[in-house]
Amino acid sequence: MAVSEVTNGRKKRKQADAEPEVVKSTFPETVGLELPSDEEEGEDESDDGEVEEFPEIDARSDSEDDAEDGSDDEEEDEDEEDDEDEEDEEEDDSVSDSTSDAGVFPKPKTIVSDITGQPKRVYPDIEPDYDSDSSTEDDPNRIGNVPLHWYDDMPHIGYNINGRRVLRPALGDELDKFLSTVEDPQAWQSAFDKNAQMDKPLTGEELDLIRRLQAGENPDGDYNPYEPTVEWFTGKGKEEVMPLSAAPEPKRRWLASKWEKKKIMKIVRAIRLGRIVPSKPKATDGKHFYDIWTEAPSEHAPPLPAPKPSLPTHSESYNPPAEYLPAEEERKKWQEAEPEDREQDYLPQKYSALRLVPAYDRFIKERFNRQLDLYLAPRIQRKKLNIDPESLIPKLPSPSSLKPFPNYKSLKVAHTEGRTRCVSVSPDGSWVVSGDEGGNLILWEVIVGRAVKRWKLDGKIGTVEWCPRTDVAFFVVGTEEKLQFFVPPNLPRAVLSLTQSILAPATLPPPTPSSIKWTSSFSSGENEALLTIELSSGSGLPKQFAWHRKGDYLASVSTNESQGGVWVHQLSRRHSQAPFKKIKGTVQLVQFHPSKPHFFVATQRYVRLYNLAEQKLLKTLMPGIRWISSMDVHPSGDHVIVGGYDRKLCWFDLELSDKPYKILRYHTRAIRSLQFHPTYPLFASSSDDGSIQIFHARVYNDLMTDPLIVPLKILRGHEVKDGLGVLQVKWVPRQPWLVSAGADGSAMVWCS
Amino acid sequence: MASTSTAPPAGPTHPVIFTTKTQYVLPSQKFMVPLAWRRYHLSQLVNRALSLPSPVPFDFLVQGEILRGTLQEWMVERGVGPEETLEVEYVESVLPPTKAAERKSEDWEAGVTCAVPGHFATASYDGHIRVFDYAHFQTAKHTARIHPAPITSLHVVPLQSTSSDEEQTYTILTSSHDLTARLSTLSLSPNSPKPTTTKTLASLHLHTAPVSHVTVSQDGSTVLTSSWDTLIGVWDTRIPPSDEVPDDAPDGERKKRRKLAKSGEEEKVVRKVPTAVLKSHTNRVSAAAFLPGSNEKAASVGFDATVRTWDVENGLCTHTITAPEKPFLALAMHSTNNAFAASTDRNVSLFDLRSAASAPLLSLPHPATPSCLALPLAAASHPGNPDNGGGGNENQLISGAYDGVVRLWDVRSTRVALASMRMWEAGDKVLSVDWRGEVVAVAGEGGVGVWRVGRQ
Repeated sequence: MAVSEVTNGRKKRKQADAEPEVVKSTFPETVGLELPSDEEEGEDESDDGEVEEFPEIDARSDSEDDAEDGSDDEEEDEDEEDDEDEEDEEEDDSVSDSTSDAGVFPKPKTIVSDITGQPKRVYPDIEPDYDSDSSTEDDPNRIGNVPLHWYDDMPHIGYNINGRRVLRPALGDELDKFLSTVEDPQAWQSAFDKNAQMDKPLTGEELDLIRRLQAGENPDGDYNPYEPTVEWFTGKGKEEVMPLSAAPEPKRRWLASKWEKKKIMKIVRAIRLGRIVPSKPKATDGKHFYDIWTEAPSEHAPPLPAPKPSLPTHSESYNPPAEYLPAEEERKKWQEAEPEDREQDYLPQKYSALRLVPAYDRFIKERFNRQLDLYLAPRIQRKKLNIDPESLIPKLPSPSSLKPFPNYKSLKVAHTEGRTRCVSVSPDGSWVVSGDEGGNLILWEVIVGRAVKRWKLDGKIGTVEWCPRTDVAFFVVGTEEKLQFFVPPNLPRAVLSLTQSILAPATLPPPTPSSIKWTSSFSSGENEALLTIELSSGSGLPKQFAWHRKGDYLASVSTNESQGGVWVHQLSRRHSQAPFKKIKGTVQLVQFHPSKPHFFVATQRYVRLYNLAEQKLLKTLMPGIRWISSMDVHPSGDHVIVGGYDRKLCWFDLELSDKPYKILRYHTRAIRSLQFHPTYPLFASSSDDGSIQIFHARVYNDLMTDPLIVPLKILRGHEVKDGLGVLQVKWVPRQPWLVSAGADGSAMVWCS
Repeated sequence: MASTSTAPPAGPTHPVIFTTKTQYVLPSQKFMVPLAWRRYHLSQLVNRALSLPSPVPFDFLVQGEILRGTLQEWMVERGVGPEETLEVEYVESVLPPTKAAERKSEDWEAGVTCAVPGHFATASYDGHIRVFDYAHFQTAKHTARIHPAPITSLHVVPLQSTSSDEEQTYTILTSSHDLTARLSTLSLSPNSPKPTTTKTLASLHLHTAPVSHVTVSQDGSTVLTSSWDTLIGVWDTRIPPSDEVPDDAPDGERKKRRKLAKSGEEEKVVRKVPTAVLKSHTNRVSAAAFLPGSNEKAASVGFDATVRTWDVENGLCTHTITAPEKPFLALAMHSTNNAFAASTDRNVSLFDLRSAASAPLLSLPHPATPSCLALPLAAASHPGNPDNGGGGNENQLISGAYDGVVRLWDVRSTRVALASMRMWEAGDKVLSVDWRGEVVAVAGEGGVGVWRVGRQ
C-alpha cells in the first residue's frame, strides 16, 4: 500500500510543475494516512496513550520531505513488488480518499518558501512558556502522565509533583449519578474524564463524532463519499502511452494452473470411481440432536448396583492372630462339610510375610461362580420398607378428647322370659320400654331402672318404638301380625288427652279402602293397647318400625310377606298403605329421611333411596354386604350407616358415591343394630359377639372435609346366648347414654 | 424418748409433733417416729403416752390428709424432706360401720328417713310409705298408700311436729311419679297401743312430669320440689282451707274418686299451688336443697350438668356452675358455700357455689353410679331441734351407689372411702341414704338396712 502511494506521489510530483493547484489539493490526502503510522510512537510518548484524543500531527508541514524519503526507499523495492501493485492500486485509491484530517488544529498559513519557491504552510509558533505547554495548564489532575489503572485498587489516584498522594475525589453512588442526570439537562452530553476524575461536557464536534461512530458513518464530518471523479490517467492528455513496467507478461496470465488441474483431476477421478458420492447425505444429517422427552422412558429398571461386599475380617488376613486360626478338628470339620454348609468359604491361613502368600488358588472357580451367579440369579432389588409402622396409622384424636361417650354400665334391667329383642327410649329421654320374646313389655326409668309398668302380650314382641312427638306420649309394639299402641302411665292430663285423641279419636275419620284393620279401645285403661292395627294374616312378626319425624307416619316391616311386608300407616287418617307394589328381594329395614320426603329401603343386598313425593327411585347404595341387618340415617340426612350379618359396617356419604366411604370391620360376629345419636357426634353398633362399639362420627358442614370416624369404646357386659349377642342399641336423646337389649334377657344402660 | 421406748425403732425416724382438737391432748413435744409406722402404731403411741384406760383408736391427719400407709410412703409421695418436722393431727377414728338391721321389701324403696326418733320411714315404688320401729324391724308398724304412683323421695318436715306423751305427730313430704308431691301427717303413739295413722293433707300441683325430689328448709317453712320438667316449685307448708287449683281429672275419674270418698276411705286432699317457680334448668332437675341455715337460698342440680344457686324469695337463679359431662343425680349441702353433687360419670364432686369454675374442688370416684348422698345430721333425739352437724364429723359424707355399697367418705381422704357398707349383692342399687347421729339408714332395690357408724 505504502509503495503504491509513493509511486503515486512520485507521479504527482512530476506533474506538480505543470499543475501546482492540483498537487496542493491531493497531496495531503495521500500522505496523511501514511505518516502517522511512522510517528505513532512519538505521539504516544507525548500523549499518554489515550486513543480518543489522537492529536494528529499535521502531515502537510513536512510532507514533502517525507515523501521524498519514501520515494527514495521505494525505488529499490519497486521491481519486486510490481505484480502486487497492479492488483492493489484501485483499493489504495479508495482508502486514501476515505482518510482525512479532522482539522481541529491551528490553521496553517500558506506562504511561498524562500528556498524552493514553492508554496508551503506555516503554523503559528508554539511559544515555549508555560501557557503553551498543555502539561502546565491549569490541570486539576496533577499526577502526571501515569496510567490511571495502576491505582484502580488504591484510595489515591497518583502522586502530585511534590510526591504527595492525590486522593480519589469522592464519587457519588448510582443514586447520586441518577439524580445529577435528572437535575442537569446537559448530563447526557457529558463524559467521564479519567484524568480530571469528573464529568466533562463534550463539545459539539465530539458529539458529532460520537454520533457518526454510533451510526456507522465515516467519523470525518467533512468526508464526502460522492466526490467527483478525478481523472488521473484517462481523459485528454493523460493517456498512458508507455507501460509502467517493461517486464514481460508472466505466463500465468494465460496458462491454467497445472497444480489446480491436478487437484481437480484427483477429485474427478474419485467421483468417477465412486469414492466421492456427490449428493451423498451426510452421516450426521439431522441425527445430531434429538428430543429426549419425546421418547417414552425405558421400562427397564435402572441397572442394579452390585451388592456391597462385606469388609474383610481378621480371619481373612494373610497373617491373622492366632485365635482366628482353626484348630485341627475345626479344619477337619470344615473340610468334611459340604461347601453349602460351611459357615465361611475359606480357611484362615497364616503367613509370616505377604510375599509368602501364594497365588489365589480359587480365582478361576470364583470367577466362574460369579458368572454363574449373574447368569442364573439375576439380582433383584429388594426394597426395604423403611416405614415407621406408627406413621401408617391414621392420625386420630384420642378418645379422651372426644368425651362424652358411654363408657360404663350403669344399670341392668332383667327380663325373665327369653331374649330381650327390642328397646326404645322415649323422645324426652326419661323412659325406656323393652320387650322380650316372651311377650313381656317393661317400661322403666332410664336412670333408676325400676320397672314402672309391665305389660304381658301374646307372643313374641318383634319391635317397639316410641312416637317421636313430644306433645304426646305413646309407643307402638309389634307382635305377631299386630301393631299395638300403648300409653305410659302418670301422664299429665293434657298429654294424655291429646294422646287419646290421636289414638282413639271420638270421631273416626272416614274409612279408607285398605285391607288393614284399625281398632281403637276406648277404655282409658293403661293395661291394654289404645289402638291396634291388624296386619294381613300371615305377615308374621313386624321386625322394624320407622317413625316419620313428625310422628304421623309409621312404616313397618314384617318378616314374611310376599310383597316385601312394608306398610306405611298414617295415624291421622287411620289408613295403611303399601308403598311398594313389588320389590326385588326381601325388605330388611326402612327408614325415613330426617328432613326430606325420602325413604330408605334396605333389602338383603342394597339400600334404595326413594323420593316419596315424586314416587321415584333416587339412588341405590351398594354396600357389598351379603345380608344387611341394620341401617341408620345420620341426623343430617346426608350419611347412612349400614351393617350386615357378615360383620361389615359401611358408611355412605350420599353426596359422594353409591359405594361406601368407609367399611369398618371391627366386630367379630354379625352386626345386629346400629344407631346414630340424634345430637352428639356418636354412633353405636352392637353385635352377636356380645359387644357394643361406640364410634365418634363427626360430620362437617364443609363438603370438602371427610367425616371423621374414631372408634371410641367397646362396651362389654352382655352375654352371648345361643349365638346371639346384643340385639338392639338405642341412644338416650339429649344425653350420651346408650340403652341396649341383649339375647341374655337383659337391657342395660351405659352412661358416660 | 417415749416413742422410742415403746416400739423397737426400725429404720430411720422422723420428728413429729402431735396436735389434736379432741379431749385426748398430748403434751406439746417432738417425737422421733420411725418412718415405717402406720396408723395403728401411731394410735398405740398416743394411747400409751396418755395411758388411757381403754384403747381409743385414732386417725392421723398429716397436712390435712388422712394417713393411709406408712409415714415413709406419705413422705415419698409428697416429696417431703427428712428435715421437716411433721405436724400430725389426730382425731378419733371412725369405727367400721356395723349392720344393725336389714329387711327385704317387696318393692324398691326410693326414700328413707330416720328423722322420726325410734323409727324409720321408707317410701316405696308401690306408692306406700312404711314406718318401722327400731325394735320390730322386720314388720312394718304402719303402711299407708300416699301416692298412686311410685314415690321418689321422702322428707320429714322439721319443727312441724307435736309430741305429747301418747302421740307424736310429724309432717311428711313425699314426691312421686304421679306429678305431685304431698304433705301428710304421721301420728305415732309409741307408748300406747293406739295405732299409727297417716293422713294426706295436701297435694302440690305444678309439675307436668314426675317429681324427682322434694326438700324442705330447716325451719320447716318452705318446700322445694324438683321435677323432670326442668322446674323447681317453691311452696309453703301451710295447708290451705280449700283447693287452690281446680281438679282437672275427667268426670269419670272424679266420680270414681267421689265414690271412694263417700265410702269414707279417702280423706279430703287439698290441692296446693306453688308460691314461686324456679325456672332455669334446661333438663331434668334431680335434686334441690336449701343452703344451711337459710330458707331463702337454695341450690339445685340437674341433668343439664349445672349446679344452680337460687334466690328463692325472688325466684331468681343467682349463680350457675356448668360442669360439662356431669349430669347430676343428687345434691348435699356441705356448708354454706360448698355442695356435694353426685353425677353419672361416677363421681361425687364438691363444688364451690361462689366460683363459676366448672372444675370441682375435689372428686370422690366411685366404681358405680352414685345415686344418693347424706351428710351427718344430729340424732333425732328431739324432733324440734334442727341441730345441724353431727359434731366432729363435718368432714364426712355418705354416698350410696348402684353397686349396692354405701360408702363413708372423709373429705380429707379422697382416694379411698373410709368405710364401705355393702348392703346387698352387686346390682341391687342403693337409692336413698339418711344419716342421723350414729344411724345410717339405707334404702334401695333390695330393701332397707340400718347401720351404725361412728363412735360408740
